[in-house]
Formats: sequence, structure tokens, C-alpha cells
Amino acid sequence: MLSISENQPETSESSAVTPECSLRVKDLNLAYGDNQALHNINLDILKYNVTAFIGPSGCGKSTLLRCFNRMNDLIEKVSITGQILFDDADILAPSIDVAMLRKRIGMVFQQPNPFPKSIYENVAYGLRIHGERSKSVLDGRVEWALRNAALWDEVKDRLGDGALSLSGGQQQRLVIARAIAIEPSVLLLDEPASALDPISTLKIEELINQLKDQYTIIIVTHNMQQAARVSDHTAFLYLGELIEFSDTDSIFRNPQKQQTEDYITGRYG
Amino acid sequence: MHKHISEQYDAELAQIADLLMEMGGLTESQLNNSFTALITNDFDMAETVRDVESKLNQLEVELDGRCVAIIARRQPTAGDLRNVISVMKASTDLERVGDEADRIAKLAIEMMDHPTNAVQNNDLRNIHSAVVKMLRRALDAFARMDIESALRVIDSDAGVDRAYKKLVGENIDQMRTNPQEIERNINIIWIARALERIGDHAKNISEYVIYRVKGQDVRHGGTRIEADNETNT
Amino acid sequence: MEIYSRRDRSMKAWFASGDPWVWLQAGAIGISITAVLGVLLLIAVQGLSHFWPHPVERIEYLEGENVTKVFGMLVERDQISRQQYLESSGITSDLPEGVDIVTRRLIKTANRRSNPPDFRWVFEHRIQHTSEPPDVLVLERLEWGNAYGTPQALSVNGRFTEAITGERLMVALAQELRHIEALRQQIETLQREQIQPLLLKQERLRENLRATDSADLSRTGVQEQLVEVQRAYQAFNLQITNLEREIAQERLALQDPQGRVQYEPLSGIIRAWQPNQFSTLDKVLHFAGNLLGFVLDDPREANTEGGVFPAIFGTVLMVLIMALIVTPFGVIAAIYLHEYAHQGVLVKTVRVAVNNLAGVPSIVYGVFGLGFFVYFLGGSIDALFFQDALPAPTFGTPGLIWASLTLALLTVPIVIVSTEEGLSRIPRNLREGSMALGATKAETLFKVILPMASPAILTGVILAVSRAAGEVAPLMLVGVVKLAPTLAIDGNFPYLHLERKFMHLGFHIYDVGFQSPNVEAARPLVYATALLLITIIVGLNLTAISLRNRLERYYRGLGA
Repeated sequence: MLSISENQPETSESSAVTPECSLRVKDLNLAYGDNQALHNINLDILKYNVTAFIGPSGCGKSTLLRCFNRMNDLIEKVSITGQILFDDADILAPSIDVAMLRKRIGMVFQQPNPFPKSIYENVAYGLRIHGERSKSVLDGRVEWALRNAALWDEVKDRLGDGALSLSGGQQQRLVIARAIAIEPSVLLLDEPASALDPISTLKIEELINQLKDQYTIIIVTHNMQQAARVSDHTAFLYLGELIEFSDTDSIFRNPQKQQTEDYITGRYG
Repeated sequence: MHKHISEQYDAELAQIADLLMEMGGLTESQLNNSFTALITNDFDMAETVRDVESKLNQLEVELDGRCVAIIARRQPTAGDLRNVISVMKASTDLERVGDEADRIAKLAIEMMDHPTNAVQNNDLRNIHSAVVKMLRRALDAFARMDIESALRVIDSDAGVDRAYKKLVGENIDQMRTNPQEIERNINIIWIARALERIGDHAKNISEYVIYRVKGQDVRHGGTRIEADNETNT
Repeated sequence: MEIYSRRDRSMKAWFASGDPWVWLQAGAIGISITAVLGVLLLIAVQGLSHFWPHPVERIEYLEGENVTKVFGMLVERDQISRQQYLESSGITSDLPEGVDIVTRRLIKTANRRSNPPDFRWVFEHRIQHTSEPPDVLVLERLEWGNAYGTPQALSVNGRFTEAITGERLMVALAQELRHIEALRQQIETLQREQIQPLLLKQERLRENLRATDSADLSRTGVQEQLVEVQRAYQAFNLQITNLEREIAQERLALQDPQGRVQYEPLSGIIRAWQPNQFSTLDKVLHFAGNLLGFVLDDPREANTEGGVFPAIFGTVLMVLIMALIVTPFGVIAAIYLHEYAHQGVLVKTVRVAVNNLAGVPSIVYGVFGLGFFVYFLGGSIDALFFQDALPAPTFGTPGLIWASLTLALLTVPIVIVSTEEGLSRIPRNLREGSMALGATKAETLFKVILPMASPAILTGVILAVSRAAGEVAPLMLVGVVKLAPTLAIDGNFPYLHLERKFMHLGFHIYDVGFQSPNVEAARPLVYATALLLITIIVGLNLTAISLRNRLERYYRGLGA
């Protein structure tokens, strides 16, 4: 039977050692042309934690995620104000080397998007882009990344095969391997399991659980149960505003805002 | 509270609430009937109470099943989760109340053979009426999510406890002075104890109301809800 | 409604079922396929039958009052009405009453020089006698087309001898032809290995002389060298003259059915055969030889005889050079339009303009090519780099490079459109996947997007090549000629001569079909050339398609 814990989680957390903050969002506003997509977001992402962004479609959660590696740069007519601090540097500053930023903040997308190359070349792609030429180093990094993405045992005998011959779940783990091969410190996951079957989804969730020892993970998901299962902290966004941000237990047991409650219990908001 | 997108879900939640209220009504009448049987030496009524007890058990089992089904199929969160959990727990408490009423009915049958009646004891009557009030109020609070009335129930439990302790002390004194009546006194203590237990269950149910509404656990002197502006007792 | 109810068989229900449309589509496709196959079959049959060794008959027919005897090969047979017959011949007395349809034959009688014309219509009812004499000899000659006749005698050292007849005559003829072929080889080798270098050397020395002024001391040395070279040249020339005299020495006496004897110099004979003695195998071999000769030989007799090799060579080379030019230009333009340009009004206008370019009549491109490429660009190049040769133009005249450029301009919209199509089909998440790994836009383009778009690019190139190989009109203005003296690729530096004029199969068809002095002789060649052009285009396309399919398989992840 479910037990109801004695104490409020917030109190227990505040009494522990304060975890290091990895990304700090300050007064972030984002607009596509005249369309304001994010309103005044303030948020601290903790290191070696999984932070989930939830909210209905169009709430701005993916937009917010894409701010962390400047993926919004690809879209024309985007205007952003505010700051995102990462190692005390504002990653929204024009002087930031976007390629280096993306090396340190990796991203995995909703649809598995391996390149139409071999499994090996997919994982080695980022390394080659960043100038790695040595075959032995590449071999080592590829194996390391595939092992960490829990894919090595399934593909070690066919690294030369086309990546598109893998199943959807394997492809998504390959893409995660590709992302961690260049050793980022933050992993952004944009609905990483929404295109996968339940078993593959569970494998990805298990992988997220293992990876959070080494990476700060931010995951956007439509699946509230998934957010509840994998995340330590959950942010609920609605119409471009951050409605509630708290530890996942509180959000799912006793949200403080009516909008959050309505959304996670499946009511009309 | 808004409606769920899934109307079926709303219907299922309403169903368990209805079942709980049905259980509550039944338990209330069990409590009243068992005490009336005791007062009026009504053997038939006492027997009826004993028969109805099994119906109560069945209701609890059914309610449990429905709650588990909702958890399994709907994965309720937040308020819904607390709703289902509190209904489940409240049903357990109501079933226990039913057990206590059954015990009183059993004692009523036992005491019919004795010349003097427990009914003479005013204290017992007072405890009974206080407990009946508590239970009713607790069920009301549950139905209406009324924290104020729930807090009142929790507070009134202390009075019942005091009355019970007083009654036990008096009966022990009587047993010392009048050992022939020991059996009667023990039965009175048993009955008082059953009533006191019912009071505890009513208090528990009120606590679930607070958990249900506020998401705070107030059992066993856990966090008090002083912070609330609405009520301050 | 009852699912298992009887089907409604009314007309309306039949229309509603959609079956009529399926039939309509099937019918339309069937007609199209039949039409295409019919055209191909017609071209193939007409073209290929030209190479088949048909028997040569001895035909005796009445021409007026006289009996004419000829050797002839049946080309076709058709029928005309009595009225037409009357109008064409003016005599009906020889035609029996009641015969309204007159059958006539077109026979090839060859012997254009001794007994013209070489094709004639003969009315069947005037034919008195036909036979297939086994000893009829067909000569394929360098000039004047074929000759038919019965071999009479062969000269030995210039003098006819009666000793060699019948079987032995043919053996001796074959031997002598082989000998002449060997002598020709010898001459060719001398030309290539001795004369050509000497001519080049002489040219260089003369230039040297022109460059140095008269006071220069080295002048005398150069002059001596020049004399030396000229002496050597004359020696070799003499050798060649002797060989040529030896070749020209022997002759063959050939008798036609009228009894007239003509003397054919063996030097003018390419091949000789006796079709009436051919077994089926011989015929097949002869057919194959003819076909091979058609593909590999140079044309003769105003393109009505010989092969079309220079035209094949010119077509393929021109198309390949065009593909080499159009592919990078089209791809780069498409990449800029699709990946880099701001998608505003300007780009949209450019895109519409590019699409419309594909619809401009090709002759307009020809005029533009002549004006811009040939006169302006070519003229400028001549003025800058080939001043010595002026006023004779080098690049300032129609040539291979200008034809290729003109066709590249003509087909670049196809490549642009197809490449843009391919680029837009690549899912956005692949670009994002690459960018998210820290790749720049250019790295993403070269490592992910272009390889994936390569099948689409190839499709564009295939379409461009198909279009270009079939174009004739603009080429007539910018470089194609009916007879090019040299191929654009040879052994002399710089090996690829982009300024040369070239031959083209499409233009060859036009030239042979419509400009030829000898229509009857040229007609089968038109078909054969058309068949060849189709074969080449299909071949080029199939190669490119198989390459594209392999790439597509690769990028679908099936291959590795």
C-alpha cells in the first residue's frame, strides 16, 4: 500500500548539502516576432539532477529547452532577453561560441535522428567535428559512449551496419550515445521517448536514471507519469509562463497551484 | 474543482465517494442500533446488527477493489491520488467502527441475562452521543471536504477520551466496593472502550479529510496546520 | 444495412464503385505504352534491317520495249492504283484489264557510277525473270556506294590473268584485300609515327625562325635543321607514295547482267561478299559486322555510307562535359537558394525565374550561346590568348565547349529544381541533430545534407542529360557540324580540344534524313541513327539511375 511520508520533502532537502546549480535562468523572455512565447522565466537547474519540463502543447517547454543550447538561433525573427548563466557565463551573449556551447550542452530530439551512416560513424560524428582524428581514440570513445548508452552489447558486432537498420528504441539510445560521446556536462532531452514503444521507453528512462550521476539532465515530456518516474524536479509551464517549479514529489502529490493540479490530474485548465 | 477531461474518471471517483457514504450511513445506523439494543434489551435488534456487520465487510472489500482499480488504471496524481488514498483509508476505519458496533451488540446480548442494565450509566450514554456526533460530523466533513468541521471532530476526541478515562476509573471503584457487579462493570468498560475506539476512528477519518484537502499529514502530532487562516481552534 | 445483401448492379453503382476510372487509366496507360513500343519497334526494325545481308537477285524486266537486266536487292514493295500508274508511266497497254492495283518494288541496284540510278522502282508485272545467281559479288567501296556484279578476273601485278576463276578467284581476292589492308596500316603508321612529328617539328622551327630576328646567329642552325626535317619528310612521303601505288595497282573485273565489264581498283574496296552463298550463320556474322562498322567507323559519301562513330563520340563527350559544368553550378545555386538565401520576395522571384528558364525554347538558348559564348566570350579569349592566330578564330567560333555551356545553361534549371527538392526533403531534425553536436552549418551541409541529397542531385543530372542529349536546334548554332574532320580528343597536347567543332547524332539524323543527296540510301541510316541515339540516352540514363538507386539504398540504411 502507498505510504504517506511523514515529512515535507522540501524541509529534508534544505537541511542537506545545497546541490550545485548548473544552469540559472534569469528573467528570460522570448518572442517569435510579435508572439511572446516565454514570459519572464526564472529557474535554477541543479547539477546531477533530472529536471523535467511539463505542460500542455505550445506552453513553451521545448522553446525553453532550446534556449539552453541556442537551438532557437536557427529560427528567424527570434528575440530573447534575460540571461541563462552556465559556469557564470551568459550563454545568450552574442560572444558565446555556439559550437563549443553545444559541445558542452548536448541535445536529443523527439524523433530518433541518426545520420544515414554506420553506427560507428554516428557516434564518431561529433568527435570528428571537434577535430578528433586518431583512430584508437575514436574507437575508445565510441565504445565508451555506446556502453554508457546501454547499447554496446546489442551493436558491438555490427558497428559498420547502417544506423537506420536499428529499431526505434535502439536508434534513440544511439543518438544519446552520439550526444554523450563528446562529453557534454548537460543533456537536453526533448521528448526522447514519445516516439517509442513502452519497453523502449522504460529502457530510455532507466538510461536517464544511470546517466544522471554524470550529467545534468533536462527533459521535456508530454508524459506526466514519465516526468514523475525519472525527474527529481519538475517545472510546469503554461502559456509561456513558469507556473510552478518544485521537487517532483511535491508536484505530483500536492501541487501548490490550481493550474498545475488541473493539468496533472487531467482536468480542463 | 474542475471536471476531468475523462468523464468516466469523474464517475468512478463519484462512485467510490458514494460507496464510502453508503458505508458511513450503514455504520452510523449500526452504531445507533447496537446501542438501542443495549438500552432496550432488544435481542432481535442486536441480532440484526450482527447480521448487517457482514454487509459492511463486503462494502469495504468492494470499495477497496474499486480504489485499487482506479490507481491501476488512472494513475491518479495530486488531489485525485489523495482522494483515492483517503477514501481507502476511511473505509478501513469505517469497517473498524462496524466491528466495534458489532462488539457492542454482542455485549448487549450477553448482558440481557443480567438483572441490572448497563443503560443506567449516564456516562456511557454521554460518551455514546458524543461519539455518534463525532462520526456523523466526520462523515459530513468528508462529504463536503470541510476542514473546519474535521478539526472540530479531532478536537472533540480529547473530551471523549477524558470521559472514557473517568468512566473506567468510576467502574473500577465500583468493582472494588461491589465485587458482585464485576461482570457488569467489565461489560460497561468494554462498551465504553468500543465507543472510545469509534471516536478514534472518527478522528482518523477527519484527519484524512485534512490530508485529502491540504495534502498535509496531521496524524500522530505531525505538522499542525496552524498556518491556515480559515480555521483556528 | 445488410452486409451480405446482393450487390447493386445498376450503372450508377458501377460508376460509384470507381471501376470505370480504373479501366480508363489502364486504357490510357496501355495506349501510351503501345505507342512508345510501336515507335521503338518501327525504328529498330527499319534501322536494323538495313544491316541484314539480303540476297541479290538477277532481275530481267521490260523497260519500254527493251529488256533490262540488273542485279538488285529488294528494299520494299508497295502498291499503287491504276490511276497513279497511268500518271507515272503513261502506258497501260501492258496492264491486263480489270487489274486495278499495281504492285511495284523498290530495288537497290547499286553501281551508281557505271549504271545509275542505284535505286529504282520496278513494276512486278513487267518483271520477266528473277533468279539468285550464287556468284553475285557485292563490293563495299570507299566511293560511289556498293557495286554488284559477277567477278570475272583479278589482276596480278596490274595485269589480268584468266588463270584464276571461280572459288580460287574469291580466295585470291580476299588475300589481296588483306594485303592492301596491311599496306594501309603501314601508311597509317608512317603518317602517325613519322610524318606527324616531323610536321610538328617543322612548324616549331618555322615559329622559331619568325621569332628570332635576322641577325641572330642561331638562325642558320635552325635553318639547317629545317632543311633536314624537310628532307626526311620527303623521304617518308616517297615511301608512302610507293605504298599507295602498290595499293592502287590491282583491279577486279566485274560484269553486270547486261554483260558490261567494269574494272574496280582494289584500293577502293572495303569489303567484298557473296550474299547469295551465305548460310544463316554467315548472315548473322555479316549483320554483326555491319552493325559494329556502323558504330565504330567514320562516315563516308556525305554521311550516307560508313559509320557514325564521330557523332556518337561527339554526343557523349558534349553531354559529359555539359554534366560536369551543370552539376556544380546547379547544386551550388540550389544550396544557396535553399540553405543560405533569406526566403524573401527576391528569392521567390529568382526561383520563379529559374523555373521559367526551363520553359524557354531551346533555339533561344542557341542564339544566346552564339551571341554571348561564341562571339563575346570566345572573341575575348581569342583577343587575350590567341592573338597570333587572328583573324582566324580559335575559340571565337562555334565549338564543343560553347555547345556544352549552352546546353548547361539550358539544363541548369532542371538540376536546381531537383536539388532544391532533395534538400527540402531532408528532415529538419537531421540538421538539428548535427548542429546540436556542435557542427557548423557548412559542416552539416557537407557531412550530412549533401550526401543525403545526392540521389536527388543525380536525378536532376539524369533529367538534364536526357534533355541535353536530345537537343539539336541550339547546337546547330554553337558547334555542331555535319562532318567534323577530327575528334575533340586525340593524342596531341592538350588532348582535349574544347574549341573544335563536333558531330552529333541528333544533327546527323537531320542531316542524313533531309540534306542528303541520296534519299533512298539515307533513309535506313536515319532509323539506325535514331535507334542509336535512343540507345545512348537510355544507356546514360540507366547508368545514372543505377548509381542513384545504389545511393538511395545506402541512405535508407539497408546497405552499410
